[in-house]
Amino acid sequence: MRVVNSMINALAIGALAFLYLPLMAVALFSVNATKYGLVWKGFTLDWYARLFENEMILAAAWNTLALAVASTLGATLIGAALAIGMEKFPWPKKVKASLDLILHLPVVVPDIILAAALVIVFSLLRIVSSLFDPGLLNMIIGHITFQASFVALVVRSRLAVLGPEIQEAACDLFASPLYIFRRVTLPLLAPGIAAGAMLAFTLSLDDFVIAFFTAGPESITLPLYIFAAVRRGVTPEIHALSTLVLLITTALVVGAERLSRKKVGQKKPINVNPHSK
Amino acid sequence: MKKMVLFLAILALLPSVTQASAAKNELRIFTWSEYMDEANMPKQFEKETGVRVRLDMYDSNEEMMAKLQAGGLGQYDIIIPSDYIVPSLIKLKLVQPLDHSKLPNLKNLGKRFTEVAVDPGNKYAVGWQWGTVGLMYDKKKISAANASSWSILFDAKKNVGPFWLIDGVREMMGIALLYLGHDFNSIHPTELKAAADLLAVTKKRKACLGFKGGVGGKNDVVAGVAAAAIVYNGDAIKAIAEDPERLAFTVPGEGSEIWIDLMCIPAKAPNLAAAHQWIDWILEPKVGASLSNYNHYATPNEAAIPWLDKKDVENIGVWPTPEIMKTLVFTQDLGKGNQLMDQAWTRAKSN
Amino acid sequence: MPQEKENKNSALVVWDGELVSPGTLWKRGVSFLSPGMLWLFVFLLLPCVILVLVSFAGRGEYGELVWEFGLENYSRLIGFGAFGWTANYLMILWRSVVTALITTVLSVLIAYPLAFFIAARPERTRYFWLTLVIIPFWTNMVIRAYAWFLILAPEFPLAKLAAFLGMIDPGSPLYPGSFAVYLGMVSMFLPFAALPLYASVERLDWELVEAARDLFATGPRVFVKAILPQTLPGLYVGITLTFVPAMGVFVVPDLLGGAKYMLVGNLIRDQFGASRDWAFGSAISISLMAFTLAGIYLFRRKNFDEYKTRKSA
Repeated sequence: MRVVNSMINALAIGALAFLYLPLMAVALFSVNATKYGLVWKGFTLDWYARLFENEMILAAAWNTLALAVASTLGATLIGAALAIGMEKFPWPKKVKASLDLILHLPVVVPDIILAAALVIVFSLLRIVSSLFDPGLLNMIIGHITFQASFVALVVRSRLAVLGPEIQEAACDLFASPLYIFRRVTLPLLAPGIAAGAMLAFTLSLDDFVIAFFTAGPESITLPLYIFAAVRRGVTPEIHALSTLVLLITTALVVGAERLSRKKVGQKKPINVNPHSK
Repeated sequence: MKKMVLFLAILALLPSVTQASAAKNELRIFTWSEYMDEANMPKQFEKETGVRVRLDMYDSNEEMMAKLQAGGLGQYDIIIPSDYIVPSLIKLKLVQPLDHSKLPNLKNLGKRFTEVAVDPGNKYAVGWQWGTVGLMYDKKKISAANASSWSILFDAKKNVGPFWLIDGVREMMGIALLYLGHDFNSIHPTELKAAADLLAVTKKRKACLGFKGGVGGKNDVVAGVAAAAIVYNGDAIKAIAEDPERLAFTVPGEGSEIWIDLMCIPAKAPNLAAAHQWIDWILEPKVGASLSNYNHYATPNEAAIPWLDKKDVENIGVWPTPEIMKTLVFTQDLGKGNQLMDQAWTRAKSN
Repeated sequence: MPQEKENKNSALVVWDGELVSPGTLWKRGVSFLSPGMLWLFVFLLLPCVILVLVSFAGRGEYGELVWEFGLENYSRLIGFGAFGWTANYLMILWRSVVTALITTVLSVLIAYPLAFFIAARPERTRYFWLTLVIIPFWTNMVIRAYAWFLILAPEFPLAKLAAFLGMIDPGSPLYPGSFAVYLGMVSMFLPFAALPLYASVERLDWELVEAARDLFATGPRVFVKAILPQTLPGLYVGITLTFVPAMGVFVVPDLLGGAKYMLVGNLIRDQFGASRDWAFGSAISISLMAFTLAGIYLFRRKNFDEYKTRKSA
C-alpha cells in the first residue's frame, strides 16, 4: 500500500512538473538578456518594458479583455435563461430530449467545425450588412454561441440539485411567481450562475480557434498575436508577454477561488417573508 | 451585484465606441511581415501627412487573398500582392483602379515597371519592390559549392542539417518543378504530381523541419535552429549584414523565382485619399530609396537609384547579374490551372 | 412529481407549488427559452446546416465559393483527386482519431494519480494543489504549446539525448514531429481530464473501499470494483472534454508538428486559409463531425449500458 501511495505521489508530482516545465522555461527566458539562442546572458527586464511601448500588444490585450467580458455577459444571460427555461417547465419528453441535444452540440463538436461554419455564415450575412465584417462583433457572437451551452449546462446541474421544494414552500406562503423568481430562485441559483459565468470567461480567454477564424485586422486578440509572432520566430518579447499572461491568469484563478470560497462560506438567509423588501 | 453588471456592460460597450471614434484619418496597410521599417516608416508618413498608419501582416499571397475573400475588402486601404496574383485580383474585382491624377510621382517608375505584363499602364497596381527567392544558409555547415544547387535540399544523400522549405505554393512548387527539369509555371498534371511527391518525400526526411514562410525561415537560420531555409533575398541580405561571417545567400543554379510586389487598393477601401497619398509618397525618390535601404530589396523606382546604398547596388543578391537573371522566372497566373496547382500543393503538404 | 393534465385550455395544474394555467406556464417557458434557442438556431444549427450544404459546393478558379453541387469534395476526401488515387486525407483523418484516442488514454492514466494525490491532501493545502492544476487549464493554449519550443530546442538535454540515440539529426530541435505533438497534446489536455475526474474522486465514498477490503479483495480488484465505478461520472466528462477537442485541435499540430504531422484541424484550417477551398474544407469538417459524434456515441453506448445496469443493481 505504501509503495502504491508513493508511486501515486511520484506520478502526480511528475504530472505537475510536466505541466509547468514549459511555462517555467518561458518565464526564465523572458528575463534573459539575449535575443536569440538559449545561453544565459544575464538578467534583464528590457523585454517587459518593450511590451508596453508596443501599441499592437496593448490593443490586443484590450481586445482580449473586451471580448471576454462582452461574450461572458451575453452568454451568461442566454445560458441561464436557457437552463431555467429547460428545467423549470414541464416540457414533453421529446422536446426536452431535442433541446438537450442542441445544448450539447458545442460540447461534442470540435470548435474548429463551429468556427468554419461561422465563417461561411458570416460571409453570407455580410451580403446583407457590413456589420458582419470580420471583427469584434463576429468574435463576440462566436464566443457567446459556444459559451452559452456550457453556462446552461452548469446552471442546469445546479437547478437539478436545487429541486422544487423551496419554491413550493414559498408558494405555500402566498408569494407571487415574480417575487419567487426574483427573491428565491435567482439567489439560490446565483452560485451556479456565477460558476457558469466564470467558466464562460475562461472559455473566452482560452479560445483561439473561433477568434482565429472571425477576427478582423483591428480585433486581434493576445492569443492571435502570440500565434502569428511565434510562427515567424520566437523572441524574448513574446516570452515576456506570455509570462505576463500567465501571471494575470494566475491572479484571476486565485481571485476566483477566493470569491467562490467566500460565497460558499457565507450562506445568506433566505427571506421568506413575501411582504418585506 | 446589479452595479457590477452595469459596470461590466459599460466596459463591454466601450471598445465599439472607441473604435468608432478612432477611425479618423487612418491608413490601413496589409503587407508582408518585415517588409518595411515597421517602427519608423509609418511614423514618418504620419509626420509628413498627418495620417495614422496601421499595419497588418501576412506571409504569403494566398493568405492575403484568403483574408480579402473572407471579408477583408473594406478593412484595408493598401495591399501588397505579388505580380502573379494581380490578374486574379482584377478578375475577382477585389481591387479598384488607381486615380493617376493623385499620383504625380508615377513618372519615377522605371520603364519595365510601367509596362509590367500583369497590369500595363499601372491601372491597378504600382511597383513596390522586386526581388528573388533563394537559399539562405549557415556557411559553417554548408559550403558555397553545395549551396549552388537545389539538390542540397532535395537530395537525401547530401548532408544539410535542419532546413525549412518555403510555405508558399507557387515559390515552392515552382522550385520543385525547376529542379525536376520542368517549367516553373507548368500545369501538366504529371509534372505537378511529380513535384508534389518530391516535396512530400523531402518533407518527411529527418533533416527537413517542414514549411515556413520566408521571414520565419530566415529568423530560424539566424537563431541557429536551422542550417538552411528558402527565403526572399532582401530578408536574407538584411540578416547577413548583421552576421556576415556565418550567414550567406545564393540563388541556386537550377533557377528560381523573380517577383515584383505591387501596391494595390482593395475594392472597398475606407480611406481612398490616404491610400493614394501613401502610394505617391512611396514613389518619391528619397522615400523609395530609404525603403530599399532598409529591406535590401531592389526598387522599381528609377528616380530613387541615386540614393540607394552602394553596398546593395553592388550586391548580386539584391541586383542579380545577367547570368543569374537568365535562370530567374516570373510567376504567371495560371487561370484554370490554379485549381490544379492548389490541389497539388495540398497533396504535397498533407502526405 | 407534480401532476400535469394534457389539454392546455381549461384545467389548471400545480407546478412548483403554484396553481397556474398550462397556457401561462407555456408562455413563461417559451419566453425563457426563446432568446437562447433563437440564438442557437441562427448561430449554431443554421451554420451547421449551411456547412453540410457547402460541403457539396464547388470552388472557382481563384478560390471563390461556387454554388454548383456535386460529390467531388467527398470523393476527393476518399482519395479520388486530380492526381490519381491517394490515401492522404483518409490517413490524416485516421491519424487524428488515433492521436485523439492516445492523448485521451494517456491523459486519463496520468489524471487518476493526480486526482487522488490532490484528494488525499489535507483540507488546508488542497486548494493550493487544485489551483496548480487550474492555472494551466485557464492559460491560453497557444502559450502552452509554443512553450515546448524551448524544452525541445537543440541546445536542451532532451534534443541532445534524441540526437545521441539517433532519432534526429544532431543540432536539430525535437520539433516539428510526432513526438512533440504528443507531448504538446497530453500537456494540453491533462487538466481537462484531471479536473472533472477530481470532482468525482473528491466525493468518493471510502467506506465502500473499506468494505471491499474487509471482504478480502486485493489491491487491483479493490480499484476496479470499488473505486473506479464511483469515478465514472467524472471520467466520462473528462474523456468527452479531452477526446472532442483533441479531434479538432490545430494549434498544437501546427506549432509542434508543422507539415510533418498534419492532423484534420490543420487541413481544415488550410482550406479556409491559404488554400481557399471552403467547399473542400466543409466536407472535411462534416467528416470530422461524423467521426467525433460516432466516437462519442459508441463510447457512451458501450459504457453507459454497463453503468446503468450497475447502478440499478
